[in-house]
Amino acid sequence: MSLRELFHNTTLADRIIFSLMIVLSLSGIAFIKEILPDNSTLHIYVDGRPAYILPLDKNRVVSVEGPQGKTVVEIKDHQVRIIESPCHNKLCIQTGWVSSGAIVCLPNRVVVTLGDPDKHKKTVDATTG
Amino acid sequence: MNIRQHVVDSRLVKAKRIVIICCLLSTVYCLLSTAFSCVPQKEKIFKKDKILMDTLVTITVVSDSKDTAEKAIDAAFSEIEYLEKLSNHYSPDSEITHINRNAGISEVKVSYDILKLLEKALYVSENTEGAFDITIGPVIALYDFHKKIRPDDGMIKKILPLVNYRDIIVNRGRSTVLLKRKGMLIDLGGIAKGYAADKAADTLKKQGVRSGLVAVAGDIKAFGLKPDEKPWKIGIRNPEAKNKEDDIMATIELEDMAISTSGDYERFFLSGGKRYHHLLNPKTGLSANECRSVSIITKEGAYADAFATGIFILGPEKGLKVLDKLGFEGMIIDSQGKPHLTQGIRERIEFKRTVS
Repeated sequence: MSLRELFHNTTLADRIIFSLMIVLSLSGIAFIKEILPDNSTLHIYVDGRPAYILPLDKNRVVSVEGPQGKTVVEIKDHQVRIIESPCHNKLCIQTGWVSSGAIVCLPNRVVVTLGDPDKHKKTVDATTG
Repeated sequence: MNIRQHVVDSRLVKAKRIVIICCLLSTVYCLLSTAFSCVPQKEKIFKKDKILMDTLVTITVVSDSKDTAEKAIDAAFSEIEYLEKLSNHYSPDSEITHINRNAGISEVKVSYDILKLLEKALYVSENTEGAFDITIGPVIALYDFHKKIRPDDGMIKKILPLVNYRDIIVNRGRSTVLLKRKGMLIDLGGIAKGYAADKAADTLKKQGVRSGLVAVAGDIKAFGLKPDEKPWKIGIRNPEAKNKEDDIMATIELEDMAISTSGDYERFFLSGGKRYHHLLNPKTGLSANECRSVSIITKEGAYADAFATGIFILGPEKGLKVLDKLGFEGMIIDSQGKPHLTQGIRERIEFKRTVS
């Protein structure tokens, strides 16, 4: 049976159902995408304003300009660290590699946040201490 | 031949009908399940960060609309910004700076929030034998934890008489504050963040948010339940952790409660094998050394914040007595790393690893 014959054998109801199923499965994809967190992106904010939104699966080095100077952020193998900062205490550099949560440089007003690698495994909503 | 053809056809039609009915049923099922699974999923968690009060403030809210959530969060950020402007003693034109500049000279008119903050601070001082004292300012000014500078004993001795919360004269009727002696300095660093968390949470509620989490660094206020109807879960940092904030020692679930932690790892330097940190004893002017970290849970963030500092300085034995007396919950990690818990926290806290 050729494809054309198959098509001729279908009724209007068949076609409606077929197209409905396609629409439904597509909306399912959109729905799931909406529900799942964007776990593969990195956000860099300077002084509260977004400076970069980057995918985590691509290794690279970016720099942003804060009030005190240049902060350099490195992305490698889904991890992030700050490798250069003009701040005096360098706490942001000492933080080292991070794969979830955030790195903050208060003096230079730079905030780097990562999506949680797996929201279902996420243990806490906030940390004290 | 014809009949057989007919039989085949009718069978085909039957089969097709069954397939169609199945398809219809499954479509209806899909639609219904999507619709119903949508009801509890409709509310989502929205989160925003901002650097305020010299630290990272993270506000999380539960809402069914992104616009409502962001509007509420921005309003809460503005509230914190407003409190920062009033209370920051480093800024040249804050109300606290006005009070400090007029120490020993004249009383200063203050806003409602500064009055509240001072009243709460004095309450904590009175309940911690003065271990929490916002007039510690002149002593803190002698230290620089970034440059690893600490004062010698002579300098501390000279300054210590300026530290006494009883020399803050608050006149509620006139909304004025006077520091009795010249040179006195109020530093609200041990209470302002917790108070800000309270006020930000109130702002969120006023904006119609039914559930949220305000974290002014480690001073956290939680209200309502998450979309999955579970309370907010808070991690308590391990005091032994080195710069990794995600190294969590224990977790606890909070509903309409605040939690704060004071630890000797927050601002410190090491010199001659000794740890000099920012939790200074108002009686000695030196870093308190009986605890590593103190976490307090109570309704008000301002009290959680200030009592965490006060009890850190008081030490575990006296600290537990204070908590029992006031009906607060808490965990005190002493200098040996041993946890001391109040009765109420014992049933609720979950340790991730054993603390020796």
